[in-house]
Amino acid sequence: MALPPPDPEFVLRGTSAAVHTLHFSCAGQEPDFPILFSGSENGFVHVWNLKTRRVDTALDGHGRKSVYWVETLDAKDRLLSQGRDQRICLWDLAEGRTSVTDSVFTENVGFCRCSLLKVAQGRWLMAMAAKSLEEVQVLELPSKTSVCTLKPEVGAKLGMPMCLKLWQLDSGSQPWLLAGYEDGSVILWNLSMGKALSQLVCHQEPVMSLDFDSEKAKGISGSSEKVLSIWSLNEQQNLQVHKIHKLVNSGISDITIRSDKKILATAGWDHRIRIFGWKKMKPLAVLDYHTATVHCVSFSDHRNPTERLLAAGSKDHRISIWSIYTQT
Amino acid sequence: MAVFDTPQEAFGALRPVCVQLTKAQTWENVAQLQARLGAVSAPALQELQEYVLFPLRFALKVPGPKQERLVQSVVQCISSVLAATCVKKQELLQELFSELCTCLSPPSALNKPALLSEELKLAVIQALHTLMHSAYGDVILSLYQPSTLPLLGFAVSLLLGLAEQEKAKQIKISALKCLQVLILQCDCQEHRHLDEDGAQQCGDLFASFLPGVSITLSRVITGDIKQGHTITVSAIRLFYQIVGLVMSDEQLSRVPKNKEKLSVEQSRISELMIHRGPDWSKSTAEKLTLLMHKIVESSSVHPHWKVKLELVELVHHLMKNCRQSLVDSFSHLLKALVGLVNDENSEVQNRCNEVLQSIAEQRIVAENRALADVLSENLHSLATALPRLMNSQDDQGKFSTLSLLLGYLKLLGPKINIVLNSVAHLHRLSKALMQVLELDVTDVKIVEDRRWGSESSYEPSGCLQKGKCQKKYFRFFTEEKVFQLLQQVCRVLGYYGNLYLLVDHFMGLYTESVMYRKQSAMVLNELIAGAAGVGVDVLHEREDSVNMDDLKGSITSILDEYTDQANWYLITSIDTEEVGTEFSVQHSELPASPGSARSSVLIPSSDPHLSTRTMNGNIWQICIQLEGIGCFAAVLGKDFRLLLLSALYPVLEKAGDKTLLISETAMGTLVDICEACSYDSLQCLINENSDYLVNGISLNLRQLAHQPHASRVLDTMLRHSDVSLLPLVEDVIQDVLSTLDQSYDNQASTFLRVLYSLMAALVQWFGTSCSEEHQQGQTAEWRSRTLSQVQQQQLVTRQEVERFFLDYVRQKQIAEGNLPDTDDEEADGVPPLAKPEPNNSDTEGETPLPSHAQLAKDVMERCIHLLSDRNLRVRLKVLDVLELCVTVLHPHGNHLLPMAHRVWPALVTRLISDDPLAVLRAFKVLCTLAQKCGDFLRQRFSKDVLPKLASSLLSQAPASARAGPVYNHTLAFKLQLAVLQGLGSLCEKLDMGESDLNKVADACLIYLSAKQPMKLQEAAQRNFLFFNKPICSISVTAAHNWSQKCEVPTQKLNPPSYLAY
Repeated sequence: MALPPPDPEFVLRGTSAAVHTLHFSCAGQEPDFPILFSGSENGFVHVWNLKTRRVDTALDGHGRKSVYWVETLDAKDRLLSQGRDQRICLWDLAEGRTSVTDSVFTENVGFCRCSLLKVAQGRWLMAMAAKSLEEVQVLELPSKTSVCTLKPEVGAKLGMPMCLKLWQLDSGSQPWLLAGYEDGSVILWNLSMGKALSQLVCHQEPVMSLDFDSEKAKGISGSSEKVLSIWSLNEQQNLQVHKIHKLVNSGISDITIRSDKKILATAGWDHRIRIFGWKKMKPLAVLDYHTATVHCVSFSDHRNPTERLLAAGSKDHRISIWSIYTQT
Repeated sequence: MAVFDTPQEAFGALRPVCVQLTKAQTWENVAQLQARLGAVSAPALQELQEYVLFPLRFALKVPGPKQERLVQSVVQCISSVLAATCVKKQELLQELFSELCTCLSPPSALNKPALLSEELKLAVIQALHTLMHSAYGDVILSLYQPSTLPLLGFAVSLLLGLAEQEKAKQIKISALKCLQVLILQCDCQEHRHLDEDGAQQCGDLFASFLPGVSITLSRVITGDIKQGHTITVSAIRLFYQIVGLVMSDEQLSRVPKNKEKLSVEQSRISELMIHRGPDWSKSTAEKLTLLMHKIVESSSVHPHWKVKLELVELVHHLMKNCRQSLVDSFSHLLKALVGLVNDENSEVQNRCNEVLQSIAEQRIVAENRALADVLSENLHSLATALPRLMNSQDDQGKFSTLSLLLGYLKLLGPKINIVLNSVAHLHRLSKALMQVLELDVTDVKIVEDRRWGSESSYEPSGCLQKGKCQKKYFRFFTEEKVFQLLQQVCRVLGYYGNLYLLVDHFMGLYTESVMYRKQSAMVLNELIAGAAGVGVDVLHEREDSVNMDDLKGSITSILDEYTDQANWYLITSIDTEEVGTEFSVQHSELPASPGSARSSVLIPSSDPHLSTRTMNGNIWQICIQLEGIGCFAAVLGKDFRLLLLSALYPVLEKAGDKTLLISETAMGTLVDICEACSYDSLQCLINENSDYLVNGISLNLRQLAHQPHASRVLDTMLRHSDVSLLPLVEDVIQDVLSTLDQSYDNQASTFLRVLYSLMAALVQWFGTSCSEEHQQGQTAEWRSRTLSQVQQQQLVTRQEVERFFLDYVRQKQIAEGNLPDTDDEEADGVPPLAKPEPNNSDTEGETPLPSHAQLAKDVMERCIHLLSDRNLRVRLKVLDVLELCVTVLHPHGNHLLPMAHRVWPALVTRLISDDPLAVLRAFKVLCTLAQKCGDFLRQRFSKDVLPKLASSLLSQAPASARAGPVYNHTLAFKLQLAVLQGLGSLCEKLDMGESDLNKVADACLIYLSAKQPMKLQEAAQRNFLFFNKPICSISVTAAHNWSQKCEVPTQKLNPPSYLAY
């Protein structure tokens, strides 16, 4: 008999608004406590202390406009947050400070989450949807200099970029960008040439989320449809459909592959979180707790694998934390 | 007073008597001398000392039998001379000494006290005593030469004989005192202290007497208790003084390895001399150990405290002086000391503590491995014997045994770990504790005492007491002080011992067997308290205070174990409502802490062997664990806040338990936690940690087996908090409701309890805004229940009835053509119409409901579904909840009315065709609803309910009229009463029409009959009050009916004159 689906390890309440994005920072050693950042619809970024399971600080920097992407630059003290006020803020959180030290004005009205890639010590690339609708701009951080702007061919009718994923094969090698578009296609961009290398139509609907495993050269994307699309990148840098995984209910708002590339989690509009084995897309568990659409899923970066957690943020204002290491 | 100051004068005065005495040794002559001596000054006498002594000594020396009386007076005279003078010559001293000694034993029977009178013996002893005091310095030392050894020995043996064998107390004491002087250990301050060599020499000499002295003294000490404590005390003192002198480490260390060769003429004496070499000291120590054992055994239980005190001194003295030589005896000595630490007598106790303290301070034990070994050996043997002793001894015996145990532990101090590291020792010790601490679980009351208050009353949070331990009853002892000792034992263990080791061991026992679980939990609690240094009484500080992280670690692991499902959800009652769920949980092995509750639900299996004993045990188990949590909180203080994450939920769960003892203990624990974590009040604690609790509730609601617990936690939260909690728990209340939606069948009763608490809390919190009318309604209801109030109302009622008829008369006149005068009628004091519903303004707009009202509405929604539950208990509960819902929703008419509309059909069913109990409650709900909804219900009431009610009243009337006094206790009566009481106001509130009122009046009329029970009559009477308004029409009918039906006028109502009309 299969085990009954697990309960959340615990649930974080108190954002008092729908949760749109989550990011763990748990790699620190004692006495640093594990932290979860959450961005919510009311424009706050909450810093959760996972030891006391309470909000340590609430950062208000996006004029009460929804925050839909948070990410740290290396340490937990430097945080990037992206909000619907068209700004990306860099926070300084060291020693109890809560100030915005820098910000980028994106002028983009969409809700495409940025993607961050560390290319060298103290140097990052950040891909973000640009001012003109179909473009993606890549900036270098912390200098904020524009590396390139990726424009689709004229007449491609891709629509807005919906989701971005910067990646490189191994550190030091050339960075690539995968972008999912409104028309359901995923495009692989070469950053140095600023050229689209390959385009694959994965979905009929806008691509809501994608993630890519550079080791297996395989990626996955989800849309508002009832399918997950798994595609691979061959040696000729061509994207091809690998598999289509059918779902019971439609709508995927977020997909994350765990850092060990063994499992992945999806956030469903059907209020459920689904866990799959990444190798064969074997369904492992359906985590049912939320009472509204799940907006985001995130795996923690604990050093000790057994401590690792999965967090999911939902429209019902709650963040559920799951310990699924033993279940996989 | 002295008359003769100069030697010349004195000589002149004394000479004649001396001469006479020399000539004739008679008692009279001695007496004469004695009398003269009184008149001679001390300096003068000193000059004439030998001269005066001569005739006296001569008198003693005269051969042949002597009169005892003479000897006695001579001896007394000698001692009075000696008392006033000094002996300055060695020869004189020795001669006098031997002469006096001879007085006691005639030369014929050496070493055997002659059959002399007691007075004489006493006189001689005192003379000897005086002699020793009149000799100074070198003179006295001359007595302590090897050459005088035989003489000394003679004296010592004589005195010992007296001390042991005499009957008279005085002689015994004097003999012992004299011996004390003889060994140069007199208490008085006049003596010069011996230098090292002198002491060494004396030591060598006394070593020869040691066997005799010690054996005799030990006999005296252990002798008959009736001899009086002074003798025992002096004997003990003498014993330790001589032993301390001879066996002194200092002296023994200076004894040369080989015996000195003495000159030839001394060779005979040298045979008597003892060489205190290592062999000798070893064998002597062995023998002394035996004696010491005896002495300790008898003295430590001596009834007089001074003896005990002296024993403490003995230990102190020997521990100080003979640390090495007498190490073998230490186990006995320490045992004595340790056993006396908790003596009833405070002086003994204090001195004992001082001595222990000094021992501890000198680190005699801590740094002396041998001693530590001795102690741990003692401890081990004690622990081995402990279970047996606990079985056989009475409380007093147990007390002293445990005092001993505690004392050993205290003395061992940091060295406890040597003992604990030995598995055998730890095992023995823990097993002993397990046995002693076994609880008495036979009390049935513990299981039976239920918390009934949960249904209605709200405990005011102010009167909570600090969580003090519940009084426990043990199998093997009853006295509280025994328990306190045990507590101390555990705390001292925790204070000095290796915490990890101890916690690990006792946790092992905890999990090993149900038999040990309660005891080991108790021990663990105390260990932690001890480790933190709370309430421990120790002799010396430990070197390093406990590491807070270690402590926290231990506490966390214990806490996890305590709140583990298997140890937390125990069966404590056979209440059918609870058992099923408790059972199903018990088998899964996961922690109860929220978030990790993943038990699979098992089918409840009823255990036929579940005895009261087991349940009582389980209750205690939970209480002890709860107390433990309180104790941990106190230990960690604010650091405990972090643990609230896992600890608070289970404690609240137990605070809502139905077993009185458990819920009380849990409340105590909560208060402890409040204090430890510095929260101002229980409310603060709950409110500030509501996120943890809500999380736990929400997660546990997902598990069928945990739903009752989750609801219990919410229940407790609501009960003990205030309105500020509402926004924090709203979220989870929705969870509760949605869970309820999923399981109407089996869990309804569990959730109804929460819904009830919720609504009751809402009524309480928003009471003022929920209309005062309700309050009044309720108070009116209350009032009607109290007798005095009833009588008062009855009075009023009579007047009202009278007025009613007067009115009727006038009305009739009006009808016959007299002027109608409505103003007049108003002025007559007819009660005005029921006030229009307040808060009508609310009904205007579609303003969003405040959250509490929304909740009430949501709950009401569920009530509609549950009103037709199969289970009567559920239905009753639902009706209660419904009433509260109506009260809360009251100010929001435009929400209440649609709800009332939806509730109506289900409610009517309850009113018309249900168990009388349900009808009763339903009627109450109806009354409340009518109060709130007013005429909204009129039509429905008159159509659906009233006919049925009226007809049931009518049909019941004959039954109640015939019934005896027992009827008052039947359900049918209560129903009648309730309906009669409620009907009038109901009609008024609903503004009923004429025909309906007629029906009511008809139904009520029968109850005015004197045959009906009093209460029903009164209730029916009062109803007519409410009919005042449509007075003309109804009164005619009523009066008409009455005159027809009431052939027998009621006796209680004085037949008024107007009936003639």
